[in-house]
Amino acid sequence: MTEKNNKKPAFAGVDVGSLATKSVIVSNGTILGYSLIPTGINTEENGLLALQKALDNAKLTRDDLKYIVATGYGRISAPYADKTVTEITCHGKGAHYLHPATRTIIDMGGQDCKAIRLDEKGNVVDFAMNDKCAAGTGRFLEVMANVFKVKLDDLGPMALNAKEIVPMSSTCTVFAESETVSLLARGENPANIIKGIHRAIANRVAGMFSRVGVESDVFFSGGVAKNVGMKAALEEVLKAKIVAPEYDPQLVGALGAAVIAKGFGSKV
Amino acid sequence: MVLDTLKKIEEAIQERPKELEEAKKRGEKVVGWLGYNIPEEIIHALGLIPVRLGTGGDDRLVEVGARYISTKNCVFTRETVGLFAENKDPYIQKSDLVAVDTTCIQMYIAVEVIKYYFKINPLVLGVPRNFYLPDGQEYFNKELEFFTHKLEDFSGNKLDTNRLAGSIKLYNGIRKAIKELYKYQAADKSPIKWREVFDVVHSGFYLDREKYLSLLKELLKELKEKHGLPVIGSLNGDARIFLSGSIIPPKDTKLINIIEEVGGRIVGDDLWSGLTPSLNVNIKDPSIKGIADAYVNRIPHASQPYILNVNTDRRLNNLKQLVHESKGQGVIYHTLRFCDPYTFNANETGAVLKKDSIPLLEIHTEYSGSDFEAIRTRVGAFVELIKNKNILEVET
Repeated sequence: MTEKNNKKPAFAGVDVGSLATKSVIVSNGTILGYSLIPTGINTEENGLLALQKALDNAKLTRDDLKYIVATGYGRISAPYADKTVTEITCHGKGAHYLHPATRTIIDMGGQDCKAIRLDEKGNVVDFAMNDKCAAGTGRFLEVMANVFKVKLDDLGPMALNAKEIVPMSSTCTVFAESETVSLLARGENPANIIKGIHRAIANRVAGMFSRVGVESDVFFSGGVAKNVGMKAALEEVLKAKIVAPEYDPQLVGALGAAVIAKGFGSKV
Repeated sequence: MVLDTLKKIEEAIQERPKELEEAKKRGEKVVGWLGYNIPEEIIHALGLIPVRLGTGGDDRLVEVGARYISTKNCVFTRETVGLFAENKDPYIQKSDLVAVDTTCIQMYIAVEVIKYYFKINPLVLGVPRNFYLPDGQEYFNKELEFFTHKLEDFSGNKLDTNRLAGSIKLYNGIRKAIKELYKYQAADKSPIKWREVFDVVHSGFYLDREKYLSLLKELLKELKEKHGLPVIGSLNGDARIFLSGSIIPPKDTKLINIIEEVGGRIVGDDLWSGLTPSLNVNIKDPSIKGIADAYVNRIPHASQPYILNVNTDRRLNNLKQLVHESKGQGVIYHTLRFCDPYTFNANETGAVLKKDSIPLLEIHTEYSGSDFEAIRTRVGAFVELIKNKNILEVET
């Protein structure tokens, strides 16, 4: 680590997710830089590239880093990291860093969905994960956006503009796609169908919370947390207010990894 | 370093199919069995050779089995049918009769299917659902009488009280030794892992039972000499995992490998392919009724419910006691898809343990590798939770 400019030690988190790879650099109590790139086929290269971009963003070099923690499904291919930690623990630490009153996290990522309960220090005390299914994930919403020929980012606002709700009976990605095509053919309003899709996913997520419980404050992380329609549907179904962090929710896992890196790195 | 006796047990397992072949040439008969409530004491006392059948973890065999039964049956049942369909497993090949009890309805019905397609010679032992009622106990006693008479006809021998007493003594010795081995694997600085003990238990499915007891005694002697008496005291920072739930048969190593890979230490189980069959077997007299009464009062399989009375449920109370004795810090509750009795019980088992501040993680899986990474994440997070690795200063 370079100490020549009296720089404080920096710590990095790298979250190699199924659809996006993220990295966050922290030092001296602040977030110095971040990056977010699509995940390709080489997860090791993706992690290194995201790390370098976050360093560039922070105007730091690799020598400035004291400790790196990798997380996400690609953590198993991260020889550049000093340690790997599961994304469940990382989201806990990241959410706690951004909003210390967080006791419940809904993390909806590219290929899975998690319900996480925290104690007052941001330690995970219980969690549940969706089971072998793309329902409630970024991938599911990508497929749906494709059916409606709209951008992924437009789905949420469209759901909020719905006048009514068209119930969606399936949350299976394949069946929901064919059900949506049938509903469109029947002449149903697209916004109303999209609201129905969001409600169906929220109901499914609520099933996970029946196992771990919901306690305020509820924090929404992962790429799907950018979807305002999903946030509204979850608040309605869970009957809980979801706090909106002033930070990109897709970076929470990487941020948590950086916070954990700081914890381990400080002891090195 | 592998213990000398473990190597001997492994060598004995290698030799066992050949031994069985030779025994059959001498006119001896092999009884392969499936289930939970088959009393080996009676099979052994009649001069028959008992072998517990069934393996797991092979998705290819599951697919073979699924040609004959529904894909909505659990993978263990499907793989068992696959084993009979392929007929390459040495113990299935050598079984002259296949005994099955009705504890697990899927397995019992699967044996009917196996009989239809593969012309095996089956024998069924009825098991009551409400085993805790006098009528249920009487039913099991009569079923065991019928089962024994059928085995007498098959063996050509009459059940002899003295021989039965000898068999009971042999099996009591095996059960006692297995319980002692479980204490060693959970001990501080243990020279034997849970995984090795689990394998030793599975060796007992196949080996000659007298030879098996002799090897168990030798193993315990070696452990005592090398380690002293087992003491379960300090936690040493290990994430001490207790395994519960659906059967984990021989060769099904997916979950066990994952737990070990992410840094968990398994310290006990209450599996019906592990410790549980060795617990609470109190045979008061060498008779069919003595054995029936003892088996009906063992730790019940999850398909024999206590009508969800969590305060009197022997299975739940046994789980709590074993977790406490082994100093388990968290329970991984393994459920096989379509293994309904254990899957249905997951939530209340978790709720009961939560009262004792023991977290429970349910892993619902099959034998395919498609969920490997998802399970690794869950088990990894659970181990992190237990190790409290995530208690770190949040300040940066």
